[in-house]
Amino acid sequence: MNGTANSNNAFLSVEDLLQHALVIELEAEQSYKELAEQMHSCGNHDVAALFEKMSALEGRHARKIRENAAGLELEERAPWEYRWDGFEPPENAELNEIHYLMKPHHALQLALAAEQRAELFFTRVANQTSSDDVRRLAAEFAADEKQHVVWIREWLEHYPPPAMDWDEDLDPPAAVD
Amino acid sequence: MSEPACKLKASDYKSANKPVWCPGCGDFHVLLSISKALAHLALPVEKVAVVSGIGCSSRIPAYLNSYGFHGVHGRALPLATGVKVARPDLTVICAGGDGDGFSIGGNHLLHACRRNVDMTYIVMDNEVYGMTKGQPSPTTDPDWDSKLAPGGPGISPFYPLVIALASGANFVARGFSGDVNGTTRLIVEAIEHPGFSFVQILSPCVTFRPDQKEWKNQVHPAPVTPTADAAQAARRVMTDDGFNIGVLYKGARAPYRQAVASERRNDTDFAKEFCV
Repeated sequence: MNGTANSNNAFLSVEDLLQHALVIELEAEQSYKELAEQMHSCGNHDVAALFEKMSALEGRHARKIRENAAGLELEERAPWEYRWDGFEPPENAELNEIHYLMKPHHALQLALAAEQRAELFFTRVANQTSSDDVRRLAAEFAADEKQHVVWIREWLEHYPPPAMDWDEDLDPPAAVD
Repeated sequence: MSEPACKLKASDYKSANKPVWCPGCGDFHVLLSISKALAHLALPVEKVAVVSGIGCSSRIPAYLNSYGFHGVHGRALPLATGVKVARPDLTVICAGGDGDGFSIGGNHLLHACRRNVDMTYIVMDNEVYGMTKGQPSPTTDPDWDSKLAPGGPGISPFYPLVIALASGANFVARGFSGDVNGTTRLIVEAIEHPGFSFVQILSPCVTFRPDQKEWKNQVHPAPVTPTADAAQAARRVMTDDGFNIGVLYKGARAPYRQAVASERRNDTDFAKEFCV
């Protein structure tokens, strides 16, 4: 059978888990960077700046994981061999939910959902592994992600939901209703 | 499939030009899948040529660091064929959309499949002409109602995978742009498979087809192993729901050059062999 997302989360080694954690952060860094570029291209610079901040934060997390992995041999693998719950690493923001008129509130909601997926991912890894070391490390990562969820919720308090007509465009690109 | 030998990162295959696609467009993910595939195959940028026609997705050569040719509407496949025949050492990827590939360039698709030149054709299918503001394309459902086609186009859609199989494509796959890593794998396999490989990628148009956001919940892995029987593959594609993703057909036909190059004597023979 043809396969796509691979959700077998039975991680058996610390190296395996660290490699996945590293890819989560690197891909999130890259995906936020690309979302920022998308927003700049359509003049939505406020949201672009927010995505740039998120990209920088994810890059910092990646560096921290690299430091933690110093001395260990992490095995890079083909993109489809990583084991995610869905199509993509959990911290990648949903491209599907991007809108050229989106507000900072929406960007933070996307980031919140991403951090929640990451927390769930690491919690599941901790629950399913038979290795004490992996369980301990996965629980640490889950706790980190939980903290990120708290921070983003606090951040969101500065950006309440916009008015209902936030996506109204008086010169819309679409010829369809 | 070859072992990964990543020399360059996926981002190294992207150019400094920033895409001007609508934010949220599925083509961003296809660009990522192509760059990941090239990185996985460790192909030097100067050994890759990406050729396209006209349309939103056909802008893709500008966003990659490889050689690129942004050709005229519907003529991407003849251009790509010429590149591959002249420079068989290059990995040639032809890319574009459903309008460019199945309507304006529809006839070229048939003959590219027949010729079986060793290259990969990637079609980002969003069932609409996005660049010209939302007209129905060859793959649009007959009842898709819009201001530009009130009541829908009302005609049977084009079934690109079946047409490709009937015309002799040597590798046929369907992917979904949101499945970046799965699509990367399809592209890697398509490039590695000898002959003409065709990958249809369902790539939502967020501006004119917001309904396609739902594709993410509709696609599913093809519940079959790839077959080498084109008729069986065609029957499967004709009867599936249009959302099966994966490799659907792997043929064993010898690619164009390998079959005839040793027997070619001069330019006239070459022209004779290549004519339709």
